[in-house]
Amino acid sequence: MADLDGFSSNKSRLYCLFNADMKNSIKVERAKKDLTQQDLAEKVQVSRQTINSIEAGKYVPSTVLALKIARVFEIALEEIFELEEGDYG
Amino acid sequence: MKKNSILEVPLLHPNWKKLAYVFFPLPVFIVIGIAILNPKTDPNETIQIIYGSWALAFMILNLTREKVEDEMVRTFRQQAFQTGFYWLIWGLPVLMIINYWRFDRFTSEIFTAYLVLFLLNAYIHGAFKYQKYIANKEEN
Repeated sequence: MADLDGFSSNKSRLYCLFNADMKNSIKVERAKKDLTQQDLAEKVQVSRQTINSIEAGKYVPSTVLALKIARVFEIALEEIFELEEGDYG
Repeated sequence: MKKNSILEVPLLHPNWKKLAYVFFPLPVFIVIGIAILNPKTDPNETIQIIYGSWALAFMILNLTREKVEDEMVRTFRQQAFQTGFYWLIWGLPVLMIINYWRFDRFTSEIFTAYLVLFLLNAYIHGAFKYQKYIANKEEN
């Protein structure tokens, strides 16, 4: 739960390196499940830095990785990842 | 989805990085050796040895996998090759213009395959490291 310190919004804002904007709630879901970034990284077979970058909005994961993350949290993909306004269409 | 094997780029084991780092100082010793053995060697030739050695070093670094080669690193690597090439095609005309200012001609003896390979691989490496730096800074 310590990871939630200073986290004021349900959705962290993503400014991706690759010009795609997306919000995600991985940090919140992780806190609910009491998982560290390292735990989640091991479950979806990526590095902790990758999880950190996704949470911070620096990297938008592939569909496969996004689905793996959703499976870990046992919720629908859309509940974790959401397009930013203005990124529709 | 399986990737077509002809498009697959095999990457070297991380231990190859050690060899790459040998190629950075190596041309210094080669050039000193050549200067001692044959003092009349054309200076342009020694520059090409340096470019060639550094090109090889960067090439090995670019084709060596990270300890954890996950999808983010693979994406960064692909982006780095694209960006590196983009910087090269804009950077070479800039070098040619600088050459024109200095020597009144666009072409020069220094514009060789060794130089182009060195610049391309250095740009790719720079783009890759930059993306990793951006991703890792200000960790949550």
